[in-house]
Amino acid sequence: MSKALSITAAFLLAGLSFTALSSAQAATVTIGTDVDAGTLDPRLSRDTTAYRVIDLIYSGLIHTTPSLEAKPDLAESWETPNPTTWIFKLRPNLKFSDGSPLTAADVVFTFSSILNKDFNAPMRALYTPISAVEAVDPQTVKFTLSAPYAPLLSYLDIGIVSKALVEGGTDIALKPVGAGPMKFASWTRGSAIQLEPNPNYWGEKPKVDKVTIKIIGDGSARAQAFEAGDLDIIQSPLAPQDIKRLQADKRFGAVVQPGLGVTYINFNTKDPLLSSPKMRQAFSMLIDQKTIVNDIYQGVDAVASSIVLPSSWAYSKDIKQPGFDVEGAKKLFKEEGWADTNGDGILDKGGKPLSIVLSTHSEDSNRVQTVEFMQANFQAAGVDAKTQISDWPSFSTNYVQKSQHQIALLGWLNIVDPDRLLFAQLTTGGSTNWGGYSNPAVDDLLKQGRSATTQADRTAAYRKAATLLASDLPYYIVSYQGYQLFYSKKLPFEVQATSRGNMRGMIGLKD
Amino acid sequence: MLAYIVRRLLLLIPMAAGMVVVTFGLLLLIPGDPASVLLGQEASAEAINNLRNALGLNDPWYVRLGAYFARLLQGDMGRSIFQNQAVSEIVAGRLGATIELAVVALILACLVGISLGVLAATRQGSIVDTVSMIFAQLGVSMPVYWLGLLLMLLFAVTLGWLPAIGRGAPFPEALWAALTGRPQVLIDSFAHILLPAVALAANSAAIISRLVRTAMLEVLREDFVRTAYAKGLRRQRVILRHAFRNALLPVLSVVGLRFGALLGGAVLTETIFAWPGLGQLTITAISQRDLPLIQGIVLTFAIIFALVNLVVDLLYAVVDPRIRLG
Repeated sequence: MSKALSITAAFLLAGLSFTALSSAQAATVTIGTDVDAGTLDPRLSRDTTAYRVIDLIYSGLIHTTPSLEAKPDLAESWETPNPTTWIFKLRPNLKFSDGSPLTAADVVFTFSSILNKDFNAPMRALYTPISAVEAVDPQTVKFTLSAPYAPLLSYLDIGIVSKALVEGGTDIALKPVGAGPMKFASWTRGSAIQLEPNPNYWGEKPKVDKVTIKIIGDGSARAQAFEAGDLDIIQSPLAPQDIKRLQADKRFGAVVQPGLGVTYINFNTKDPLLSSPKMRQAFSMLIDQKTIVNDIYQGVDAVASSIVLPSSWAYSKDIKQPGFDVEGAKKLFKEEGWADTNGDGILDKGGKPLSIVLSTHSEDSNRVQTVEFMQANFQAAGVDAKTQISDWPSFSTNYVQKSQHQIALLGWLNIVDPDRLLFAQLTTGGSTNWGGYSNPAVDDLLKQGRSATTQADRTAAYRKAATLLASDLPYYIVSYQGYQLFYSKKLPFEVQATSRGNMRGMIGLKD
Repeated sequence: MLAYIVRRLLLLIPMAAGMVVVTFGLLLLIPGDPASVLLGQEASAEAINNLRNALGLNDPWYVRLGAYFARLLQGDMGRSIFQNQAVSEIVAGRLGATIELAVVALILACLVGISLGVLAATRQGSIVDTVSMIFAQLGVSMPVYWLGLLLMLLFAVTLGWLPAIGRGAPFPEALWAALTGRPQVLIDSFAHILLPAVALAANSAAIISRLVRTAMLEVLREDFVRTAYAKGLRRQRVILRHAFRNALLPVLSVVGLRFGALLGGAVLTETIFAWPGLGQLTITAISQRDLPLIQGIVLTFAIIFALVNLVVDLLYAVVDPRIRLG
């Protein structure tokens, strides 16, 4: 028995020293992520892992810094001779990682395919104001817009693909070739993606010899793998409980900062119960943001006050949605004719009880908890609240996107520009205006916001719009999502976090 | 015997066709649209519809089912909507990992389950019996994802003995490496599979141990066992040669069924331990409504399950000479 034990122990020790040895090699970094990338073609990518890996393999015309400023990447400079023309000058002698030259033709090819309807690019809507892309010469690209479109620059960080490779039949979804700091080495689907430095990258060399992105679907398992030393870096999404524990651990460096996402309530303004702003205000006043943020999200998110992110240039702390106020809500319900006439504890009007369905999706347990907590508060205030929880595909496709909901809790991510959370969502007939909201004054302001050419004009338009929306409430912003990153202090370089989770700061590059 | 095998294999065809139809029907019933999931929240209704057309999702169901069968007959399981790869390639790339995990778990479950069962039965009412049945009760009632996280917490996080997640080199490759002078590769593979295999095996080990105990207790009361003792045979020989072999038959059929349960359990185990197998793929495919991929996985699981049960039926004849197949 003891002999068997010692053999097992020796076996385990050998395995242990082997793993210790491999993690001691300084210049490799292993990053944990929650989903496998679907495709590594930047034009078709749609999941966070793909965005983040693509940002390492590919370069765009510009690169977005952690503070969301546009910095020259493949383009060394750009100018806007008039509000609907953008001209980008590429760096000389750019090369893809396979050594082939990168010219204006590749840029034109990338954007033309995204704009092609039949190509089904998920982010196509962000680029539709572009009416033409031309190569003026091999180093110059000209974008012509159908109308002035200020947010465009923030979206031009999309990776440029090689026209020759794609037309030659290379499947860049599986074997990507870009002009970014790293190049593709291997991909075991569902398990890991490996990258190595791109010798042809124009800029600063990464400080790693190898990057491994490991896919671990379960959040707690990912946190444990990080604690066990199998991973060097992990980042959002993480469960609040894991975040608290990792923050307290001295072996790890932690970055906890505001992210680029919101968790919000989508009111269906076409629903008879919710068509009046007063009713939406009353329901909003029943949402206890502080408890949700502090107890359910354990303080990793922040209480939201308006539809513009606090990190944005357009933010103003003077714009405020209604806060938690049960008595105020009851007063508003009364003004709208809702009172408990039959003494059953539920408000009614014309013989009908005030009943409402709160919904969200099951993948995010914090959202489920939030909806259940809201239900309790609603009921205490005399609203017969029911909940409906289903998985994301049924919740999004068959419910919210078909405007079947009443009050839905969901989120938006990657709000790099205020336009990204407002225009498609809240203009009349907007492509993602699932709540059917329509207010001509807001429409005008949001159009101004995207077409104004100075930041001051844009700020003014967005502040006016946000003020209207804070009382009209087609959306009630519950919280600003936080972003968290944890890294092993053993890494030989300093880790720089961006709230989008991009990884250039995780391979020793700055900004 | 050969005719029997051929007949059983031919029966696979209608079974597989039935599976395809049932899965297809279920997928029609569950709400959620892959085109919308694929394009994300920011896509317009027009863009989603455009993609639905491109994927053929707007065709009537009988056209889609017919097209699927037509392709299947040519050995083509279609393309994954999300992974830009042929379903057969994706499934083939993952199958090895799942079979490896399920086989190691099955071996563990049998070793532990049978030993505990025999031990408990031969010492009925003793402390050994009680302890092993407590273990069995725990094993049956502990959900695999919970046990998996606990094992990971203890052996990977707290003690740091074993890697928390992932897979080492595939076993055949690792074995070859070990034979060619790199034993650490095999050790690494072994270290990686230990925790997920134990988590996955626990439930089956418990069920098998209970079953073996019951079967053994029954057999030990039979006349032929008494006769064997009366002949003056040693206790060990009576238990192993005479009693155990007869108790093995019901156990064998359960082991075949357990393999199905192990494939099912692999879905959760693989997700927890980031084991790159079919189970993990199943979760992803369903959460994305990747219809061709779900079809392909279910079909693969069904065929494996049917083949394993065929092997079990053949083993019956080996264990029990009274059974004649034909």
